[in-house]
Amino acid sequence: MEEPEAGCRGGAEAVLNLKPNSSISIAYHSLFGPHDDLILLELDEKLLPDILHNRVTVRGKPDEEAVLCTQSKTYALKFVGTSNSVFLIPPSNRSELNLNSDEGNGTVDDKPVVAPVIKVAPGNMEIVEVAPRIDKLKLLLSENPYRPEEEVEMEEKKDKEGLFRWDDLVNRVQASDEELMTGLRALSAVEIDGYWRIVDEKYMDIVLSMLLHNSVLNGWSLNALRENEVVGVLVADEFPCRIALHCLEMYGSKMDEDMGEDCLWKLDEKRVCLHFARGVLRGEKRKMESFMEEWMQKIPAGMQASFDMLEGEVLIERVGVETWVHAFSISSLPSNPAERFSVLFRERSKWEWKDLQPYIRNLRVPGLSSEGLLLKYTRKTQPTLDAEPVFSAR
Amino acid sequence: MQIQVKCRCGEGKCPEWAIVELQGVVEAQSSFLDRLQNLEIGRLCRPSSQENYTFTVGYHELSGSKVPLKKPLLVLKKNRDLDPDQPNELNSSRVELEVIGIIRYRILFKTRPKALISKAQPVVKEKKAGEPNPDVSIK
Repeated sequence: MEEPEAGCRGGAEAVLNLKPNSSISIAYHSLFGPHDDLILLELDEKLLPDILHNRVTVRGKPDEEAVLCTQSKTYALKFVGTSNSVFLIPPSNRSELNLNSDEGNGTVDDKPVVAPVIKVAPGNMEIVEVAPRIDKLKLLLSENPYRPEEEVEMEEKKDKEGLFRWDDLVNRVQASDEELMTGLRALSAVEIDGYWRIVDEKYMDIVLSMLLHNSVLNGWSLNALRENEVVGVLVADEFPCRIALHCLEMYGSKMDEDMGEDCLWKLDEKRVCLHFARGVLRGEKRKMESFMEEWMQKIPAGMQASFDMLEGEVLIERVGVETWVHAFSISSLPSNPAERFSVLFRERSKWEWKDLQPYIRNLRVPGLSSEGLLLKYTRKTQPTLDAEPVFSAR
Repeated sequence: MQIQVKCRCGEGKCPEWAIVELQGVVEAQSSFLDRLQNLEIGRLCRPSSQENYTFTVGYHELSGSKVPLKKPLLVLKKNRDLDPDQPNELNSSRVELEVIGIIRYRILFKTRPKALISKAQPVVKEKKAGEPNPDVSIK
């Protein structure tokens, strides 16, 4: 094989390093063609290291608009066309393309210096940072929440359809690895036997009640629960070990880990109280007084519930002299801003800022501030200067 | 599905490609349309030590300059590995995007072409015997 010598046969380097007072022939390559498999991607300089270290993937199903993911961020891929003629010239020694396969018979010296054009690029791809399309994760995991009956059933049926491993999720959800992990945490998902699951809410309620019940029986402090002891007692009550541990993860936080094998957990007052408020309001609206009464009864000793904890979880309605509350959880809302506002205005046509704020504070749109979001999706009215502004649909 | 973007160039060693860009479309005479391969488009000339260039296409001359791209362009090649077990199934093929080059500069001609009427073409082309006479023009 004749090794093409750089600079002699031309190529991109001859064009880029063209000496003053000289010229080079630009010609169609012997393999010139549409080459649809060659794509130009415009990228920020700061993302190049990610590319060079193979940390970038393209994710999406064939019917979805593809996204490009780094470890931590998601970008939409857009094609930008051009009406210019963009002649693409490869370097002279592109073995992958089998270029320069048209070696002539003459010696190097009498060959003209040519820069061959392999294709005319119709445009290039560019990327725009977007919020991850994470709502699909909830949809997928909600198909088959983990239920206690399953332990028995799973033995018999080997069929794992509707269950998802990490790799299955990566293939289906358009989000970067970090965003996907954050999404799993936000859903309180847990990896059981290699599959990511959300646990049936009513089942979790039983586990938590049993944990609290055992704390009373055994005189445990809710601020210093010993993992081995708690898990051991729950397992003795025939709860799976992973579920017992998940209960601690979901409603508590691990304290310093220098305890070796046995670590200490502290139950989170807000998360526990919220759990019981949801239980009371499940599926129905309640008069404020009766809700508060029932809620307070369920709060474990040593914990203090307050209505502030329910921000972004319940809405208050005033009907005449009566005050009603009903569940309306931010976690049930779509993460796409247009869909989020549409659901919010279906719930209520007018929102005061203090009510609206808890439901939009976790909206993240790259390049758009929260003021920008409000301008784009709401109409703000303020009857008088000192009145509270009211937001309605655009 | 997930497509891996692979780069086998090694740290900062992606081969640099070049772009020559002009407004409009270069058209070959109809007799060359289905065999453009190896046909000369034009001659790129750097008349001085400045980064100014001329591009002579047929009887037209363009003036332009070498400009750095604001953001680099990566040249990606879509590779399709067919699953050896199920070579006929499209879905079983693994697609990978391989980085085969990077573009940092283009030689951009944004002016309208100037007709070279009376004079002969400024650069004499070296042609191999039997090579078709390039006949292209800018539309």
